[in-house]
Amino acid sequence: MATIDIMSVSVIYAASFAILLVGYLAAMSSKDVIRLLISLEMMFGAVFMALIPLFSVAHLANAAFGIALITIFASSGELLILISAIVILDRQKRDIHTRAITIGGDRV
Amino acid sequence: MSGDVLLLLALAGVAILFSLGVLVSKDNFYSSLFMSVTLIFVAAVYALFNLQPVFVLIVFIFVGAIGIVTVALAATYRSEPVRQVSRFWVVPVAITAFIIGFSIYSYTIFTPQPVSPSEIEFELMNFLPITEYLLIVLFLISLVVLLLLSVLKIGIGGRS
Repeated sequence: MATIDIMSVSVIYAASFAILLVGYLAAMSSKDVIRLLISLEMMFGAVFMALIPLFSVAHLANAAFGIALITIFASSGELLILISAIVILDRQKRDIHTRAITIGGDRV
Repeated sequence: MSGDVLLLLALAGVAILFSLGVLVSKDNFYSSLFMSVTLIFVAAVYALFNLQPVFVLIVFIFVGAIGIVTVALAATYRSEPVRQVSRFWVVPVAITAFIIGFSIYSYTIFTPQPVSPSEIEFELMNFLPITEYLLIVLFLISLVVLLLLSVLKIGIGGRS
């Protein structure tokens, strides 16, 4: 079993920031909602990675696992809603490009 | 540098490379595949630190369910997107890369001794017997069921 030290924490945070940055760039360059969904999942992956050092505090390990559990389920639920929104968008607009979304709120 | 740190560096490096594949690939199908592999490597870092429950949750729920649906969606709506990245974003990207690179460089130069030399082991053995967390798990499962019912209702409403 590997143990964590300051070098491991630095590597984890650097990788997490790099993946988050790639997710941001992919979201900014996306022209359709599928790519937006992929970039959101990348961002959540970066968040999962940033949670690892929280497990290194011995008396916070259980709380960290609870936080990870809530994060995984909440992000999965959010992405599930986005997937259903993509299907409904395609059904209504016959288009999945972001330019087809002209108004916000409930009427999308 | 120990073998564990080298393995962590390898896993994180491969994860970053696959995440760059998401950005570089023009096809959404391959981008979603690269995204799934990136998340699997993120989960592998959890497995490296003996956090198998989180590894299983990420691989089975996040990649196995949501990721595969994303791959299926990308395969259904497969097309080459027209992407335009403004050149102005080169400046913040360069600044961020400089800060990350300088922090790694300054750590090796200006910090000869590690801050916390003690080894901290992960403990998850006492997680499941705690009733509060079992309650959270039950609430989360109910939340997912409610979300699925809401999506089903939206789908039926949109069809009618």
